[in-house]
Amino acid sequence: MKNSESEYRVEMTGISKSFGVVSVLENVNLKVKHGEIHALLGENGAGKSTLVKILSGVHQKDGGQVLLNGKEITPKNTHDGQVLGISVVYQELSLVNDLSVAENIYLHKLGASKFWMNWKKITKDAQELIDSLGFEIDASSRVRDLSIVQKQVVEIAKALSEDTKVLVLDEPTTVFDPTDTQKLFDNLFKLKEKGISIIYISHHLEEIFKIADSVTVLRDGVDTGSMAVSDTDTDGVIRLMIGRELKDLYPVRDAEIGEEPIFEVKNLNGRRNLVHDVSFDVKPGEVLGIAGLGGSGRTETAKLIFGADKKKSGTLILNGKEIKCNSPVDAVGHEIGFVSEDRKEEGVFLPLSIRKNISVTSLKSISNKLGFLNVDKEFENVLGLIDKLNIKAPSSEVNVKNLSGGNQQKVALAKWLSIDSKVIFIDEPTRGVDVGAKVEIYNLINEVAKKGVGVVVISSDMPEIMGIADRILVMHEGTFYGELAKSEFSEENILRYSIGKPLKQTVLKKNI
Amino acid sequence: MALTIKEQLSSPGNILKFVIKHNTIFIFVLLVIFSALISDVFFTSVNLSNLLKQVSGIGIISIGMLIVILTGGIDLSVGSMVALLAVTFAILVNTVILPLAIILTIIIGFGLGSVAGYLVAYQKMAPFIATLALMTVARGLGFIYSKGSPITFKTPGGEFMSNFANNSILGVPNIALVFFLIVILAMVMLRYNVFGRLIIAMGSNEEASRLSGIKVSKYKFLVYAISGSLAAIAAIVVASRTNLGSPNMGMAWELDAIAAVVIGGASLNGGKGTAINTLMGVLILGLIGNILNLLNVPSYPQQVVKGAIIIFAVLLQRFERK
Ligand SMILES: Nc1ncnc2c1ncn2[C@@H]1O[C@H](COP(=O)(O)OP(=O)(O)OP(=O)(O)O)[C@@H](O)[C@H]1O
Ligand SMILES: [Mg+2]
Repeated sequence: MKNSESEYRVEMTGISKSFGVVSVLENVNLKVKHGEIHALLGENGAGKSTLVKILSGVHQKDGGQVLLNGKEITPKNTHDGQVLGISVVYQELSLVNDLSVAENIYLHKLGASKFWMNWKKITKDAQELIDSLGFEIDASSRVRDLSIVQKQVVEIAKALSEDTKVLVLDEPTTVFDPTDTQKLFDNLFKLKEKGISIIYISHHLEEIFKIADSVTVLRDGVDTGSMAVSDTDTDGVIRLMIGRELKDLYPVRDAEIGEEPIFEVKNLNGRRNLVHDVSFDVKPGEVLGIAGLGGSGRTETAKLIFGADKKKSGTLILNGKEIKCNSPVDAVGHEIGFVSEDRKEEGVFLPLSIRKNISVTSLKSISNKLGFLNVDKEFENVLGLIDKLNIKAPSSEVNVKNLSGGNQQKVALAKWLSIDSKVIFIDEPTRGVDVGAKVEIYNLINEVAKKGVGVVVISSDMPEIMGIADRILVMHEGTFYGELAKSEFSEENILRYSIGKPLKQTVLKKNI
Repeated sequence: MALTIKEQLSSPGNILKFVIKHNTIFIFVLLVIFSALISDVFFTSVNLSNLLKQVSGIGIISIGMLIVILTGGIDLSVGSMVALLAVTFAILVNTVILPLAIILTIIIGFGLGSVAGYLVAYQKMAPFIATLALMTVARGLGFIYSKGSPITFKTPGGEFMSNFANNSILGVPNIALVFFLIVILAMVMLRYNVFGRLIIAMGSNEEASRLSGIKVSKYKFLVYAISGSLAAIAAIVVASRTNLGSPNMGMAWELDAIAAVVIGGASLNGGKGTAINTLMGVLILGLIGNILNLLNVPSYPQQVVKGAIIIFAVLLQRFERK
């Protein structure tokens, strides 16, 4: 300690942590100055979340030292962390679905307060807080009724409090579209000006160069470097993350695209009118991108088609024949797949092993007439996929709950890749996935397309959708506003269509 | 990587972990040793076979309860169902030939379970409510059909069943064999059959199951129907053992069955639990009753001890999760 004020707000030195016999962090250092935005980078499973959870008191370190303002701290639980002014937006959503937005935001403060709560005031305060963040959410609505984007905003609002000194954001923008992300950044800059130190975890490297002052990189539980952002670049950071150069992020699209559409949707309308008059087709071998802002109805479109939500009207045509898809059972019967954007609630089975997760869609093909499973075959399939997708886990019997977020995403994908499909909808394929693994997933999408499958990819990540799609449809207020051919791909064009404006130059809104 | 048992036992810390992981079996073994030390009657074949006979009925419905709980549901109706079905079986034994009586009773059990299944799966009623209602209905019907008094077996068929239920093969009571057979069937189903895999998946994440193209409603329905069928088998077993069907049978058995499943480490949220551990849970509950009886402990203190053991077992499981 120098004088009363130390140079760093947070100093974690020599931190180590293991879960059982698996060592997750070894001798890791993280130093964050006052009022800086410090990026924490690393591949899936590198230990980023574990490190910040040690800071906030979720996990206890096995070795090392944590200093806050030069004083040693040992938070035993998240409450200790909060009292010390450490606020965290965790990677996994942790809201109570049945409570209102306002109740959720003030939930952790309830225990400490008086016996009687002034709910009116709490709702008003919460509304002010959300408004001040620049988002539109009714503070009295139930969390269950919110979109995943809105839930994330509530999560952020919940973390903010008057005594926050350190704000940790663990992949806060995975569900955000570019405009939401920009709003968040504006807020972060304001907080930074107030002297709050921010630890920012993300797999979107371009974000780091927009907002961070310095960066620390982890690889397999060891820190491989710490530097000012101005002293490095994307390639430099990637090298520290994965230990090698990464040549091409996006694969060469070499699937042969068929002439006749494999799947057509005509005049699709949803019950709740979130989606109306949607028509499109996808050809075998084609990767069709669907872009748009959060809440524009992209996910809802996929869910309607898949039969997960009720349609009001609309025709689906598979291989020239009209089909009915009134439930996911029908859809799967027609070999239509759907990878949900919400992996925790709708994608994976957290308490079950990787093996049971992956084979849940393919049980028919690995069992006999009486339903008895061929376990050897199951292991063969599953181990093959674990290998192919490079899922990092000690064995196929590990529960998905204990995997890092990115590896959970790979499991959610593997579930659908283990069966044959004619059409597959993938909603946010790389949410929370690291750069190296992204490349693996893109290659996989490419391979699936090569087999003659029609692939529909929904993504808020604009570089991603431009990198992998052959054609992009842009959604605006529940219907497709425009279509972009490969030659017209640009962030500007996507954004213009997203907000319901025609393209700048000569290209006019297309009728699709 | 999975460690071998030998590796797991290689250090003192690991022994503790091993014990915590297999706590149900551990508690069971501990209780057996304790019982053997404390009472010299315990290890006699008469006592052991009595013990097995006593737990078989509850054991059979516990397996049904396990399957329901795995989906995240609960079946409160099984105790009353045993009463209604025991009365039904007694009436049938006295009127039709034995095989038909057995088959009809099981079909009726399946039908009653289907009512709960239909309400839960297709009318989206909360399992607790649907089966609670069915519980009162079944108990009431039992009294109506029996006119309030036990119905004794009067036919050769009834005599045959009563002989079967009170005899043993190689020292193991026949009805315990029926119970063990059901446990083995459940084990195989849960481990190696698609049906078992799907109900575990449903219990651990229903929405993800639905979006994986699983017929969630169908399996939910089936689970209650199976529980009803097992209640029928349990009813046949207990009625045969006593040579009669009474509307007072199976009082509060649903609670013992739930306790057995929970002691066996299953989660009431669904998705977690095994047949072998439920068997252990049943035996543990039976053992406690048995040893306390041998020690002449009156029945009210017995209830207190039972409750304490349940709490202890569940607390141990919390360590396992950490
Ligand atoms: N509770 C736990 N029990 C066992 N292993 C765990 C637990 N939590 C995390 N791990 C393991 O620790 C490692 C680091 O996980 P962590 O969540 O910190 O990674 P991460 O860097 O945040 O990855 P991602 O970018 O995918 O979120 C992973 O291998 C994970 O499987
Ligand atoms: Mg993480």
